[in-house]
Amino acid sequence: MTSLTLRAIHCRTLHDLSLTLAAGESVAILGPSGSGKSTLLKLIAGLLPYRGQVCMNGVAIDRLPPHRRQLGYLSQEQHLFPHLSVAHNVLLPLLFCATDGEPRRQRVARALALTQASHLAAYRPGRLSGGERQRAALARCLVRGPRLLLLDEPFSALDLQTRQTLWHEFIALREAAAITTLLVTHDPLEARTLGQRVLQLHHGRLYPYVDRPGTTAAHAI
Amino acid sequence: MRRRSHPARYLLLACTLPLVLLALTILGAILALGLELSAPALASAVGDEELAFALQLSLKTSLLSLLLALLLGIPTGYLLSRSRFPGKALLETLLDLPMVTPPLVAGTGLLFLLGRSTPLGQGLSNLGLELLFSPAGIVLAQTYVAASIVVRSARAAFDRVDPDYAAMSWTLGLAPGWTFLLVEIPMAAPGLAAAAILGWARALGEFGATLMLAGATRLHTETLPMAVFLNIASGETERAVACALILLALAATLLIAMRLLAWAGKREATA
Repeated sequence: MTSLTLRAIHCRTLHDLSLTLAAGESVAILGPSGSGKSTLLKLIAGLLPYRGQVCMNGVAIDRLPPHRRQLGYLSQEQHLFPHLSVAHNVLLPLLFCATDGEPRRQRVARALALTQASHLAAYRPGRLSGGERQRAALARCLVRGPRLLLLDEPFSALDLQTRQTLWHEFIALREAAAITTLLVTHDPLEARTLGQRVLQLHHGRLYPYVDRPGTTAAHAI
Repeated sequence: MRRRSHPARYLLLACTLPLVLLALTILGAILALGLELSAPALASAVGDEELAFALQLSLKTSLLSLLLALLLGIPTGYLLSRSRFPGKALLETLLDLPMVTPPLVAGTGLLFLLGRSTPLGQGLSNLGLELLFSPAGIVLAQTYVAASIVVRSARAAFDRVDPDYAAMSWTLGLAPGWTFLLVEIPMAAPGLAAAAILGWARALGEFGATLMLAGATRLHTETLPMAVFLNIASGETERAVACALILLALAATLLIAMRLLAWAGKREATA
């Protein structure tokens, strides 16, 4: 299990932001559009420049390029590669990493089974529904066994029923794999459901989330 | 039930006149070429040594030029698509220049750059590279004109690929080089294939720059367009027409290939 520490992060939209996630912890960050939620995840993934320090298990990873950070990044758009089948999408991350003797195809099958996407293996992403695409993207994200999972509103484009199904499946999956998870969302219900701890991002700074009395699923969604 | 007519039917009807004019002119030029060639002339053209040489030289040089244009044009197009830097618009204009410059002018420029009296020409000559008045000159001229088409089309092809796919690939553990080869190139493939076809067509038809750099020597630097020119000039019309028809057939084949590619791309997207 991996802990994550952000120290005095500065970039265009974030100011002196610090945060610590204990190993195996799941934290949700709430914030409106434009508050810098996605920016925060992208800079942890090494996709954007920043000042400050990002540490995993106490070791700074700031100088590591994105492909060496061993993170899983899942966004609303999934970005499944349209020229590859779901199985090949999931296989791609394994091409350049050791699989401890386990055949790559077997590892792909295991990841697809984990996200209940085995039946989608032969399809191209263009043929899948939103929920199916998200299952496939999650399998691709998990197949390498990432040290940390970054979720950028991954379920927000789905209908309520599919979203709730995926939330519960995801919680079971996260607990089984014990992955440290950082989720950003604008949906308080999603944040409360998926996060063991909820924080609020406001004007580039993090604050503890205060649940407004009377906020229900209907209000939140 | 009565079918409703198009709201802009009169405008569309008026536009058919220029369309018909254009189509008839193109068809007329093709038919006129075809009618120039009698059946016995066509039969003798099949076994003609000069025609076979011109076809072979055209295919060899244009394919080599296409390879060079792709090797130069794809990375350049990628760079222009993915980066911003001062003076980029100016550089893009410069790279587009060979597309709009008359080929004869481009050839004259290259001739003065690489002529035997210039330091560069002398240096290349000392290295044993004789570019002028040789098939190597043809490849240089063809690459020069084809590369700018490939750069422009490759840039457009990479522009259509959302950079977030590359970012996603990096987070999945693929280094930028592998991401380029396994994600970005395949996703841009339909556009790159169109770039290759357009570049090849341009290289096959290249005449002006080739004339300046490689000269027009029978059975030495005689590509198909050069053969048309030489044979028309010497009054051997039927051979010139046979060469022109071969060029026309090659161009039509490339156009059909491009249409098939576009159709296959659409089919795959909706599969």
